Amino acid sequence: MSHQPVAIVGIGQTHHKRKRADVSIAGLVREAAQRALEDANMDWGDIDAVVLGKAPDLFEGVMKPEMYLADALGAVNKPMFRVHTAGSVGGSTGIVGSHLVSSGRHKRVLSVAFEKQSEGNAQFALGGGKGASIGAGGAFAPFIRAYIRRSGAPEDIGWMVAVKDRLNGAKNPYAHLKLADITIDKVKESPMMWDPLHFLESCPSSDGACAVVFTDEDGGKAASKPPAWVLATAMKSEPGWYSGRDAVNPQAAHACAQEIYKTVGITNPREQIDCAELYVPFSWYEPMWLEAHEIAAPGEGWKMTQSGATALDGDFPVNMSGGVLSSNPIGASGLLRFAEAALQVRGLAEDHQVGGANLAIAQAYGANAQFFAMWAVGSSLNPLG
Amino acid sequence: MAPTENDIAIVGFAQTSPDRRTQLTEADLVLHATRAVIADTGLDKSEIGFTVSGSCDYLSGQAFSFVQNTDAYGMVPAINESHVEMDGAWALYEAYVRLLQGDIDVAMAVGVGKNSNSDPSTLYTIEFDPYYLTPLGTDTWSLAALQARALLDSGKATERDFADVVVRNRANAKSNPYAQIKGDYSADELLAADYVRNPLRRHDLPPTTDQAAAIILARGKRAYDFCERPAWITGIDHRIEAHLPTVRKDITTSVSTRLAAQGAGVGKGPIEVAEVHAPFSFQELIVAESLGLDASTEINPSGGALATHAVMVAGIIRMGEAANQIIKNGKNRTLAHSTSGPCLQQNLVCVMEGDQ
Amino acid sequence: MADTVQEFVFNLTFPFTRTLGSTLSTFSSALAQGQIIGVRTGGRVIAPPLEYDPDSAADSGTDWVRVGPKGTVSTWTWVPEPTNLHPLDHAFGFAFITLDGADTPMLHVVDAGSESAMAAGMRVEASFKAPADCVGRIDDIIAFVPAADPSPSEGAGEPFAAPEENDITEMDAYCDLTYVDNASPTTTMWAKALMEGRIIGQKCPQCERTIVGPRGMCSVCAIELDESHVIDVPDRGVVSNFTIVTPVQYHGQTETEPFVRCSILLDGANAVIAQQEILGITASEVRVGMHVECVWAPANERSVQDIDNRSRGSGGDAIIGWRLTGEPDEPAENYLNRMM
Ligand SMILES: [Zn+2]
Repeated sequence: MSHQPVAIVGIGQTHHKRKRADVSIAGLVREAAQRALEDANMDWGDIDAVVLGKAPDLFEGVMKPEMYLADALGAVNKPMFRVHTAGSVGGSTGIVGSHLVSSGRHKRVLSVAFEKQSEGNAQFALGGGKGASIGAGGAFAPFIRAYIRRSGAPEDIGWMVAVKDRLNGAKNPYAHLKLADITIDKVKESPMMWDPLHFLESCPSSDGACAVVFTDEDGGKAASKPPAWVLATAMKSEPGWYSGRDAVNPQAAHACAQEIYKTVGITNPREQIDCAELYVPFSWYEPMWLEAHEIAAPGEGWKMTQSGATALDGDFPVNMSGGVLSSNPIGASGLLRFAEAALQVRGLAEDHQVGGANLAIAQAYGANAQFFAMWAVGSSLNPLG
Repeated sequence: MAPTENDIAIVGFAQTSPDRRTQLTEADLVLHATRAVIADTGLDKSEIGFTVSGSCDYLSGQAFSFVQNTDAYGMVPAINESHVEMDGAWALYEAYVRLLQGDIDVAMAVGVGKNSNSDPSTLYTIEFDPYYLTPLGTDTWSLAALQARALLDSGKATERDFADVVVRNRANAKSNPYAQIKGDYSADELLAADYVRNPLRRHDLPPTTDQAAAIILARGKRAYDFCERPAWITGIDHRIEAHLPTVRKDITTSVSTRLAAQGAGVGKGPIEVAEVHAPFSFQELIVAESLGLDASTEINPSGGALATHAVMVAGIIRMGEAANQIIKNGKNRTLAHSTSGPCLQQNLVCVMEGDQ
Repeated sequence: MADTVQEFVFNLTFPFTRTLGSTLSTFSSALAQGQIIGVRTGGRVIAPPLEYDPDSAADSGTDWVRVGPKGTVSTWTWVPEPTNLHPLDHAFGFAFITLDGADTPMLHVVDAGSESAMAAGMRVEASFKAPADCVGRIDDIIAFVPAADPSPSEGAGEPFAAPEENDITEMDAYCDLTYVDNASPTTTMWAKALMEGRIIGQKCPQCERTIVGPRGMCSVCAIELDESHVIDVPDRGVVSNFTIVTPVQYHGQTETEPFVRCSILLDGANAVIAQQEILGITASEVRVGMHVECVWAPANERSVQDIDNRSRGSGGDAIIGWRLTGEPDEPAENYLNRMM
């Protein structure tokens, strides 16, 4: 096997906001990339290749923006690669970047993902430029309704997730929403957007970017700050539609998790994994992914939420960063999950740090809940001993 | 040769008919290309360890247009899958890197583009610097023409040289059943046409094509399961340069092509055949020079991008054509090139060799 | 009235707004005052200024330099027939113009009258819009025109003192693209059937699944489905799931009130038609398990003009919607998992 160990030695992100009026598109990606380089104690010249990810180009109205962004990302005379796998793209951008190191192609790789949603309108783009766009919430609400009926979960589970993630976000200096005074009642009383999803159970629309620096084993060991080690990666897809498809519990979600667990040697995810960043753009996706990724038994995911297990001080913290519910620069949202997992095992997550996190997973999903990207990161190459 | 487990080869290639205007959707085109290459190699789809495609949302004006294309893979049970907003040549690059992870031994790369839905004289205005170029309606033809004018003024080529490139490619295309524009022309008759963008005439510009192509890659000894004489990838690299042609030092050469050629080891031996992705006639001259090729290399026996040009597909077709020179035509060392962006901003070079 | 779809024209228009950041704001704010500037970085003056030095990737900084308004053409082309996106409505040139005081050229248009007037080395001069019309965008310069006086620009190359705060921080970017798609054979079959008051599906011979709103392939088996796989499916069924959308407003939005889109499991067909409207009840009254039947437009009023290759189950103007049959509801739990 040619697979080489990969270390994450630099992580950067922007301050996410509804509108970053102070920067151009280049300025936005640059801010995240610059922070990642500083974290890695590197300069532009140290980077061998750049991978850029973002969701549809229709969001900003710039086709293949990586061409224009080559200069801002120091990619001139280097390889520049562009990934687009729908909502999972941020995750895929991290995975593709890590593969450039694990394959031995490059020693130091910069992965950057972004979205500047304020330049355009995602609903417009998702509606194909036509009226009556159902948007992402409209597409996922039926799946959520089916989950609630199937699991028998009480209706307040979604509200609890919305509160928990926003309280976590309030501890994250980079988060878009910092709703320290959010309550269950406020969520419940917020306008109904896509029945059963209330406004406060939905992700915001954000401008933001995230960047990660990967290097090889020697680079990881020589890093000035603790590295995170990439233990396993997976990207799994299934069709968005076929007669009888179970979109609530997608087989690709199971396959993705199974591959990660097998590679790392995880036999009891709930016990062995210290924390998780899951792509939860709508509150109910927390229990749904806990089940589809086999962390909770079928029909039991909501009980983890209800018991407080997924809170920052619970036994299985989920979305310590505040998650997609607190910041949603779409193309970057997946890489933000992946980066937060790495921050946790590096012990650098400050106010949203889970004590003693040595093994974390991160996940992103896209399109009709059909594309999944996931990785596991550790504080060492063998955190399970 | 006795391949190591890190040696990766192209073992199968298929493309759909290059139509000026197909009735089919991009998903239909992907289905046809992938079914063909799977049938040709005798694979079962369950044997493919990774599938990756290259396409472009803005070709159809729809966000997530690639999502429906994945219906063509039959992803039950779930598969390892990815997508790049780049030519399929870069999808192949991702497949190559994915194979190097060592856990799978067969991968499929796809490129697809239904180009006829949009107007190339307006669409690509949004591919350029959004602050300085797009508001002027700066179009891809004009940018190419500015580069062509610079090449003429440098004294490195003449308009007749441009026409000669077209004459040769269209003549080569006659023997390619997958070429759209083909036939015998003279430089004199081509040079009698009006300029579309001085100094470029219609024949100097790429045709508009709807097409898909798919390639199967295999790792190590597995390659011989599908192919008697695999096209081993001995070098592959890609580079980008500054976006604005106005800040590049010299647009009559291609620095990124030269760097990618070095990275791919082009100069380590003679190249018998090069399939060059030059959407504009004169760019073939710039790329050939930047690749370091000499007169001993046959360029574009397929007719190249001047014969058939589906954006997002033309590059991966170069990979397939160069591989077929080894797989089917007895050549020993060939090269494929792909480009993207204004005035050859980004370039990929792949060198392949056959068993001796 | 179109009875089948052949081609559909689609205008993708959207008013994007770009925020500029400090470098581009400085350029724009100066430009709106009639002053073109560049930035000195890495030993050369780049005009218009780039935020990052392409050679070193360093921040370009704030060493602003006045450039132009005259400059010299280094390379050029000619556009004999402008498109709707070009800034001039008559034939013009594009050129690389090295403005006086700059080391790198700027791409802009040259209004030279005729192609024969274009040449490398020609001296040109910026022609600005009226001050009131300048918004700080690159097309505030209408065009460069042949310079009446070829002598060097006054003040070019001198430092430019940028104000503390720039008054222009955003720019409008109107996207206006036209697409012409054509109906695929599968779409054409679907549309023809709708005109005849029939709903069709395609049944996969391998896995025996039926897809309604045909796609021409089985997404499970990856095999092509054609006319020979077409089956008629019933135009009645049970609501198996739904979404209620509270519309947000955006450019091109057609809805103002909450609207419902349902999945309907068609009777006896083991197949779902998605994205359907329910008639005669309010959004909040829609329930899983309701029996519904299709309400067809009268044959002479049917149209499938809006059916395109992505419609997938849209009834166009042939299906008005679905109405309750009045039969008692089925138990919701038997249906909820059949949104597909
Ligand atoms: Zn089937």
